[in-house]
Amino acid sequence: MGIFRRFVNTLRSNRLASDLQREIEFHIAERADDLVAQGMSEREARREARRRFGNPSLQQERTRDVDLVTWLESVGADVRYSLRAMRASPGFAIIVIASLALGIGANTAIFSLIDAIVLKRLPVARPDELAQITYGDANGSVLTNPIWEQVRDRQDVFSNVFAYDNDVGFNLAAGGEIRIATGNAVSGDYFATLGVKPAAGRLITRTDDVRGCPPIALLGHGFWQSEYGGAPSVIGTAISLSGKPHTIVGVAEEGFFGVDVGRSVQVYVPLCLRPYLDARSTWFLWAIGRPKPGVTREMAAARLAALSPTVFRETVPEQWSASEREDYLKITLSAQPAATGLSWLRQDYQKALMVLMAVVALVLLIACANVANLLLARAAARQREMAIRLAIGAARRRLVRQLLTESVLLATLGAAVGVVFARWGTSVLMRVLSAGERNLALTLPLDARVLAFTTAVAIATAMLFGLAPAWRSARVDPQAALKSGGRGVAEGHSRFTIGKWLVVGQIALSLVLVIGAGLLLGSFRKLTTLDAGFRKDGVLLVGVSLRNAGYADSVRGGVRQNILERFRQLPGVHSASVSQLTPISGSAWNDFVEVEGYKPTSMEESLVYFNEVSDGFFTTMGTPLRAGRDFDRRDVPGGAKVAIINETMARRFFGSANPLGKPFHVLEHGKRRPPFEVVGVVKDAKYRRLREETVPTAYVAMQQNATSGPFANYELRVAADPRSMVPAVKATMAEVNRSISLQFTTFAEQVDASLTRDRLLATLSGFFGGLALLLAMVGLYGTLSYSVARRRNEIGIRIALGAERSHVVRLVLGEVGRLVVIGIVLGGVASLAATRWVTSFLYGLTASDPRTLTIATATLAFVALAAGAIPAVRAARVDPVGALREE
Amino acid sequence: MTRQRNDILQGTLALLVLKTLSAQGRMHGYAITAHIQRASAELLRVEEGSLYPALHRMEQDGWVRAEWGVTEKNRQARFYALTAQGKKQLTAEQENWARLTEGVTRVLRYA
Repeated sequence: MGIFRRFVNTLRSNRLASDLQREIEFHIAERADDLVAQGMSEREARREARRRFGNPSLQQERTRDVDLVTWLESVGADVRYSLRAMRASPGFAIIVIASLALGIGANTAIFSLIDAIVLKRLPVARPDELAQITYGDANGSVLTNPIWEQVRDRQDVFSNVFAYDNDVGFNLAAGGEIRIATGNAVSGDYFATLGVKPAAGRLITRTDDVRGCPPIALLGHGFWQSEYGGAPSVIGTAISLSGKPHTIVGVAEEGFFGVDVGRSVQVYVPLCLRPYLDARSTWFLWAIGRPKPGVTREMAAARLAALSPTVFRETVPEQWSASEREDYLKITLSAQPAATGLSWLRQDYQKALMVLMAVVALVLLIACANVANLLLARAAARQREMAIRLAIGAARRRLVRQLLTESVLLATLGAAVGVVFARWGTSVLMRVLSAGERNLALTLPLDARVLAFTTAVAIATAMLFGLAPAWRSARVDPQAALKSGGRGVAEGHSRFTIGKWLVVGQIALSLVLVIGAGLLLGSFRKLTTLDAGFRKDGVLLVGVSLRNAGYADSVRGGVRQNILERFRQLPGVHSASVSQLTPISGSAWNDFVEVEGYKPTSMEESLVYFNEVSDGFFTTMGTPLRAGRDFDRRDVPGGAKVAIINETMARRFFGSANPLGKPFHVLEHGKRRPPFEVVGVVKDAKYRRLREETVPTAYVAMQQNATSGPFANYELRVAADPRSMVPAVKATMAEVNRSISLQFTTFAEQVDASLTRDRLLATLSGFFGGLALLLAMVGLYGTLSYSVARRRNEIGIRIALGAERSHVVRLVLGEVGRLVVIGIVLGGVASLAATRWVTSFLYGLTASDPRTLTIATATLAFVALAAGAIPAVRAARVDPVGALREE
Repeated sequence: MTRQRNDILQGTLALLVLKTLSAQGRMHGYAITAHIQRASAELLRVEEGSLYPALHRMEQDGWVRAEWGVTEKNRQARFYALTAQGKKQLTAEQENWARLTEGVTRVLRYA
């Protein structure tokens, strides 16, 4: 019968079977009637009719003939056989399934993260067509609004194109502690380009995005559900966004989260509501378009490049210096694929995730080697059984199939447990990630893609660890195997080699992982223990916004000072200060600086980072003053501007001279601003990141600036847990003005959040390095135990002939030594190549850090020795009489 | 094992069934068995267990067509009828049989 018909028969076997059943019953009934007519009793007649017919179920099977059922049944038999074998040795099954589950689960977890962050396409119409408008280095391609308007009005390659500002946070609270809604300000064709539909009301369209537009808002679906319970009646009502009422016009489609992977937009407003629409040097817009039918991305890129001179000529920032303008005019626009959206998360984590994927793949390989070794040992023990089965006529193919079935079954069970482990793993990963990334919104569904990946991994795994044992078993020579009485010869030499090579491979791979883990853990330790120039513990940071509190610009300085004085009075507060920025917040303010007598070799060298701080800032942050003084009452608005600089700035701009009393100028578009006089020097402190080389930093006096912006950060050094001060701070602020918005975080949290990626890499690589070590140890122990068991007679004879027990121990440990040395050499070479991958994640050590390499190698050697010691001692304890009598 | 004399030689069952259906038209399985037995003057007996597998195979090969119907005794039965393809097959099988018997006869006579 053709294979197709077999399938058809199998599929319709139920119907076929019932047809046949009815037909046979009819036949028997007819026969019985005839027999009754011949004079038989009814009961006898029925029995006789049945007897004549033979076995009806056998007939059924013969009808279905050689269809898939037979095949499936034999597979079923193999599965049952394998399950029985597993029940017979549950320890083996548990070890195998657990190590595979860890390996497969870890791979699934990391993959689902990579899939969500890097691979998955945006849930919009035809995402593959989308192209981002970029220039220069693709990642930071933000445009100014004048550039965007030029591009929008001049381009002729996109059927639809939009720009959006993704750095919009709306405060939902009227005052007190803030509650932020993630916002996007979008141009008119945003939704039309993406092909998103409204879930309620209407979307933002081109007519909403005109200068002077009324304030309207569109809600994200999730926000609508969580904030309004999905009530359609919110359409037409007002929502207060950072103190301004906006009319809700609609709700975006369910499942649409915006264009930035890792964030979920809660409120969309038209771009025309943003400030800076005419600012020619405020870069904040991302632009994406959908090329017209027939226009490729390359054609779009070429057209944008051709348009660029006009676009930039029309939008030159007038106040810029000549050289700055020249650079500006050279910018050339291009287009690059945007099917997967944009993502700061992807930029930050893509490489780290790839490294982790490689790590977990190696762990899985090591686990596979372990399982293969266990199966090999068991296959050797089952050699006799296989030989008998071959001798009585089993096909070799059938035996291989049976062994592979066992492997696939083990891998499947491992994958099933692994999926559970992966769910747990992804939730842990998400917790680690969201500790560092506020407003992280990422769904990691256990979807078909992830399951397909897991299945593929499980099958590959089964093949990896199952083929060698299966292949070996099928090569058994039944005669030799049976003659040797199931010992010695049947195991042969080759099993030994495969098993040992597997162990060598495991040691090599573990060394790579242990070295990698050592490097990453070492870097992380350096990052957490380095002298950052401040003391992060015991400081509460309070972000304060006076924007909606109704103060005129001119009185803000006084209000700020008033709040600071109140904080200083709070019981439990050692010291308090206020500043424009806080260290390691991600925000930066820098300017070019000129100092008499200093000649920079490049513009970069004269770049200085700034902060505006009150007196007491350095005391509060724990940054020691090296020379000069802190700001004090002498520094008044309108007086000579003063600054405190860090050691790096002092060294770079003033060399060995004493900088105190010396002036420096800030350059604005090439022109000198009035000078700052240096009144103090403070110890170097990290500014943006812990990993950075300390940057030259100048701190200017906040008290000299009476009219700065509405935002300020207060630092409170307190005796107790910083968070315990929050109620007192809230109460104090309520006395000042209930409309002031507050945001709380501790300095330690802020600093730790900046190390999220390092922490993730260090913890995971450490965990998996340890796991690899454990697996390698189990592998080594298993192989040696087996080898010692096999050589019992030999060892017995040696001892009987007078070998010292210590000699036997050395014999076994020598074997360990050989394996370990080969493994370490191979692993060392491999890690030289592999660790180059992690170079960019290292801090304070190089990829070939000798200390790390030595410790990793020593750890591995020690662990290997420990794993080898037990079988060695067991070998030395062999009782020669017993061992020889067994023969 | 010696084959029982009245069992049908393997391969000839299809021929007998096809011939029966061609002569008698639409029939159910039990009637086919009865007819072969009767027509062969009780010399041939259809092994009941092999009839239905054979019928189903013939149906799948498109030689016969089957449908459920009601017998005169008001029982549900599956009725078989010859298809055009089955008629062709019958001719072919008959020719085969003629060749086979002629060959066997010759061998028996002269060998």
